[in-house]
Amino acid sequence: MLYKLQTIFLNMIKKPAIEIFQLSKDYLESGQQHVIFKDLTLSVTEGEFIVLLGRSGSGKSTLLNLISGLDQPSVGDILVNDINLCGLTEQQRTLFRRHHIGFVFQAYNLIPTLTVAENLLLPLELINPVSSNDKNKVVELLTQLGLANRLDSYPDRLSGGEQQRIAIARALVHNPDIILADEPTGNLDIDTGKQVLELLDNMVRNVGKTLIMATHSEEVIGKADRVFAINNQSLKLVADNR
Amino acid sequence: MRRLLKKASRNFLYLHPWQLVLAILGITLGVAVVVSIDLALESSLNAFKQTTQALSGKASYRIIASDGGLDEKLYTRLRVIHGIQNLSPVVNGYVDSTATTTNNTFRLYGIDPLIENSFQSAWQQQYEDGDSLSIMTEPNTVLISRQTAQKMQLQIGDPFPVTTDTGLHVLKIIDWLPENDAGELFKHLIITDIATAQEILGLVGKLSAIDVLITDVQTAKIQRIREALPADVLLMPLNNQIESLRHMTQAFSINLTALGMLSLLVGMFLIYNSMTFLVLQRRRLIGSLRSIGVTRQQIFRLIIGEALLLALIGTVLGIVLGIILGKNLLPLISGTINAIYYPVDHSALIVTPVQIATGFLMGIAATLLAVLAPAWEATRQSPHRVLIRSELESGVRRLIQSAAMLAVLFIIAGLSLIMLTGNNVTLGLISIFLMLLGFALLTPLLTFVLMTMLEGGLSRSSSVLARIPVRMVKSEISRTGCAIATLMIAVAAAIGMDLMIGSFRMTVSEWVQASLQADMYVNLSGNMQAANKSAADHLLKQKLAQLDGVEMLSSVLRTRLIRGDTPSKISVFEINTRSRQGFIFKRSLNSEVWETFNRQNSVFVTEPYAYHQGIEIGDSIKLRTAQGEQSFKVIAIYADYSGDQGHIAMSRNIYQRYWPDLGYSGIGVYAEQGSNVVQLEADIKQLLKPYQTVRSEQVIYKVSMQMFEHTFKITETLRWLAAIIAFVGVFSALMAIQFERTRQLGILRAMGMTPGQLSRLISIETGLMGLIAGLFAIPVGFIMAYLLIFVVYLRSFGWTMAFHFDLSVIFQGLLLAIISALLAGVLPALKMAHTKPADALRAE
Repeated sequence: MLYKLQTIFLNMIKKPAIEIFQLSKDYLESGQQHVIFKDLTLSVTEGEFIVLLGRSGSGKSTLLNLISGLDQPSVGDILVNDINLCGLTEQQRTLFRRHHIGFVFQAYNLIPTLTVAENLLLPLELINPVSSNDKNKVVELLTQLGLANRLDSYPDRLSGGEQQRIAIARALVHNPDIILADEPTGNLDIDTGKQVLELLDNMVRNVGKTLIMATHSEEVIGKADRVFAINNQSLKLVADNR
Repeated sequence: MRRLLKKASRNFLYLHPWQLVLAILGITLGVAVVVSIDLALESSLNAFKQTTQALSGKASYRIIASDGGLDEKLYTRLRVIHGIQNLSPVVNGYVDSTATTTNNTFRLYGIDPLIENSFQSAWQQQYEDGDSLSIMTEPNTVLISRQTAQKMQLQIGDPFPVTTDTGLHVLKIIDWLPENDAGELFKHLIITDIATAQEILGLVGKLSAIDVLITDVQTAKIQRIREALPADVLLMPLNNQIESLRHMTQAFSINLTALGMLSLLVGMFLIYNSMTFLVLQRRRLIGSLRSIGVTRQQIFRLIIGEALLLALIGTVLGIVLGIILGKNLLPLISGTINAIYYPVDHSALIVTPVQIATGFLMGIAATLLAVLAPAWEATRQSPHRVLIRSELESGVRRLIQSAAMLAVLFIIAGLSLIMLTGNNVTLGLISIFLMLLGFALLTPLLTFVLMTMLEGGLSRSSSVLARIPVRMVKSEISRTGCAIATLMIAVAAAIGMDLMIGSFRMTVSEWVQASLQADMYVNLSGNMQAANKSAADHLLKQKLAQLDGVEMLSSVLRTRLIRGDTPSKISVFEINTRSRQGFIFKRSLNSEVWETFNRQNSVFVTEPYAYHQGIEIGDSIKLRTAQGEQSFKVIAIYADYSGDQGHIAMSRNIYQRYWPDLGYSGIGVYAEQGSNVVQLEADIKQLLKPYQTVRSEQVIYKVSMQMFEHTFKITETLRWLAAIIAFVGVFSALMAIQFERTRQLGILRAMGMTPGQLSRLISIETGLMGLIAGLFAIPVGFIMAYLLIFVVYLRSFGWTMAFHFDLSVIFQGLLLAIISALLAGVLPALKMAHTKPADALRAE
C-alpha cells in the first residue's frame, strides 16, 4: 500500500512527457469524412510505459504518428516535453523527431542498403558527425544485444527477431526521450516476441525513457503502467498498474 | 477467370498512371521519330520522281546530252527523217519571279502544246480540248498554279515578270495549271511554250531533253532512235534516271534511317524500363495469383496483353506525332538533298498506307521485344519465391552476369560484322547498333563494379550518409542500371556524333582553305547552253586579266559529260602554278603529273568518285564525245568534300579537244603582291552583270562552312530527339526508383531526415548515375566516332578524314549526362521529399 502511494506521489511530481488536448483527427476518402479520433485527451509522464490496444484500423499507428510529428491532427494540441508539435513547421517537427523520438516498427524498417552498424550510426550522424565514441557506442549496444558478430551484415541476412532487436537498438542509440513502438511483435513468433518485449522493457524502462506501444498482444498488459483501448474514436483506460 | 485476372492486373495499372503515361510516351516518341524520318525522306526523294511523272506523263525514255544541250534540229530530224512518233521536246530551267517583293524561284517548263495526248502529262489533262493552243498563239504567256497565284495576289491576265541570265522578261498569266493530284508539285512551276522558254532562258535553237514514249514491245524503236542519235547524245530509260538519283542518296537515306532507329532503340529502353517497373511492382500480385493456381502461360499472356494495349495506344499516337514531326523535318531533309544532291522542287509531306503500316508494325514489334524479358522474368519463378525480396536481388545479379555475357557476344558480333562486310553501309550501321547494345548491356555490370569500388573507398569515411547514394545505385541495379544504360547510349551517340562532325568540320575546313588559293572568285553561274554565254565569259576573262593588280587567273567549268550510259559530273580546270597547291592528292605523285594532265588524255578523279565507281590510278575512263567514245587515263585521286558522289577533273586544254566551249563556271583572280585587294574587288564588280558575283576567299570560306553546318542540321535535330527520349527514359526510371523506395525514404524521414536532406540524397544519387553514364559514354562515344568516320562515312561517301580529338566534346558529354540525370531527378526528389512521412511509411 505504501509502495503504491509512493508511486502515485512520484508520478504526480514527475513532469508530463506528453500531453494531448482535445485532439481530433479525420480524413476525407471518396468524398466521405472518416473520423479517427474525437476530443482525445491524454497525459503521459516521463518514464511511463503506455500500451495502446485496439483493432486493426482503430487508429493506434495514427496516434503514434501524431505524437512523433509524422502526422498532424485536424484539431487539438500535442505537447511533447512542453513543445507544441502543432505549432511547428515540417522542418521543425523533423528536427524535433531527430532528437526526441525513437521508432520501433512492426516490419522492423531497417534500411536495407546499410549494414547493421550503419543502421545504428545513421540516427547519430543525423545529429552530429559520427565520432569514434559513436562507433564504440554502437559496438557496445550490439554486444549488449548479443549481435556483435553481425556488425557488417545487411538486414536481409538476419532473422526477424534479430532485425527487431537491431531496430530497438536503432531507436535507442541516439538517446531519445520517447520510444514509440508500433506492433513490435506483430511479425514475430510467440517466443521471439516475448524476448523482444523483455528487451524493450529492460532497455527502455531501466533508463527512464517514456515508452508508448501499440499492440494486439495481451501479454504486455501486465508490464505496462497504463493500458488504453482505442474505441469509438476515443481512449478508454483499461488497466492502471501504477 | 480471365476477366478477373485482367481486372486484378489493370487495377494496379490505374493506380500508377504516370508509369503508364511514360511507357506510352516511350513508344510514341520512338515510333514518331522513325515515322517522321521515313515520311520526310520518302517525300523528299519521291519529289523528283513525282515531278518527272507529272511533267513527262507516260514517257518512258528521255534523250539527253551533256550540258551543251540538244540541238533542236535533232527533234525535227528524228520526227521527219526517221519517222519516230511520240516525242515530246522539253526546255526547262529556273527563273526568279519579281511579281512580289519576296523572291520566288520557279521552274520554267517549256513544252510543245501540240504533242500527242498519249503522253498524258499532268499539265496536259485539262487541255485536251485544245485550249492550250492559246499559249502557242500568244507569245510570252504562262500557266501557273491557282494556289500560288492567289498567294501572290495575281489573277489571269496579270503580268508575271521574271528575271534570268538574259535579263527581265514580262510574261502574262493566261490560265491556271490543272488542279489534280499533281497540284502540290505545281506550286513552283510555270509552263510556257518552247519558243518562249528558249528565249527567256537564252537557249534559242536548243532543247533540254526530248521525252520519248516507248511501249514494252517497241524494242526495235529503241534501236532506231539510238542509231539516229549523235555519239554524244544519250537515250536513257526515265526509271534509270530516277533510280540513279535514288541510288545517289542511298547512303544519306540509310544514315538518316539509322538515326531514327537510334531513337527507337532508346525508346525501347524506356518501354523496357516502364514494363519492368509494372511487372516488378506486381511481383506480390503475380505471386499470389500463381499461389492460387494461375499458370505461367496465363501470367505471360496477361503481361503481353497489357503491353499490346499500350503498344497500340503508343503507336497510334506515335504515327500522328510522326506526321506532325515529319512536316517539320521535311524542309531540313529537302534542304540537305537540295544542297548536296539535286534540286527538290516542292516540299509536301506524302503519307502512304505502306509507311503507316510499317510504322505501326515497328511500334508493336519494338514494344513486344522490350517487354519480352520482364514478362518472362515474371513467369519464371515459383509462386513462393516470387514473394521473397532477396530472391529478386539475386535474380537481378544473375541477370546482370547474363547481360554482360550477351554484351560481349554483341560487341564481338559487331566487330566481326565490320571486318567481314566490305563496303556495305547498312551492315556497318548494324554493327554500330550491335556494339551500342553490347555496351548498354555491359553498363549494369560496370556500374555494379564501379559502385563496389567507390563503396570500398568510402568505407574509410565515417559518414553513413555519404554511403547511402552509392548503396542505393548498387542495390537497385536492375533499375539504375537500365536508366544509366539509356542515358549512356544517348550521351555516347552525342559524343560520337560531335567528334565525327568535329573531325569532319576540321577536315573540310583544312580542305576549303587549301583549295582557296586565289584571292577572289568570280561566280559565272548561268545556263551553259545559252548561245552567247561562252563568248561573254571569255570577254570578261580578258577584261579581268587586264585589270590593275591582277597577277594571274585560273578558271573552272563545272559541267556534265556522258560516261557509259550515265551523265557524270566533271570539273574542267585551267590551272596556274598557285592553284595547283589547292589539290590535296591521296597519294604522292611524280613531278610530271601536271604536264600529263595538261597535255595528254588524262584526268584526276575525286576520292568519292574513285570510291563509288571503283576506280584506281592507272584505270581508264571512257567519255562520249561527238567523235565517239574517248579514253582518259586516271593519273591522280584527290580530296574533295564538295559532294558525296564526286567528280572527274580534266584540264581545259584536253576538254576543248572534244567538247564545245561552254564558258566558265568560275574564275579565280590572283592579286599581285602588295596590290589593293579592296579596290580590285570593286573594279571587278564594275565588270560583272547583276547575276554574277565576286567574293573574296574569306567570304567563300565562311559560306562554305555555313553550308557545312547546314547539312548537319538534320543530324543535330535527330540527335536531340534521341536525347529527349533518353531524358524521358531516365526520368521514368528515377520516378520508378523513388516510388519503389517510398517506404524506405519514409523511414529516413521518421528518423529525422529533413526534406532538404532527402532531396540532396536523391540528387547525389541521380548525379552519380549521370556521372557513371557520362564516364561510360566517353569511351563508347569514342568508339562510335571512330566507327562513324572510318566505317560508316567512308563506306557511305568515300571520304577519308582525320580523327580530331576535342576535349570540350568530352566535357560537354559528361556535363550533358550529369545535368540530364540531375534534371530528371528533380521532380522525383521533390515528390519524395514532400510526401508525408506517415503516408510514405504506409506504402508497400
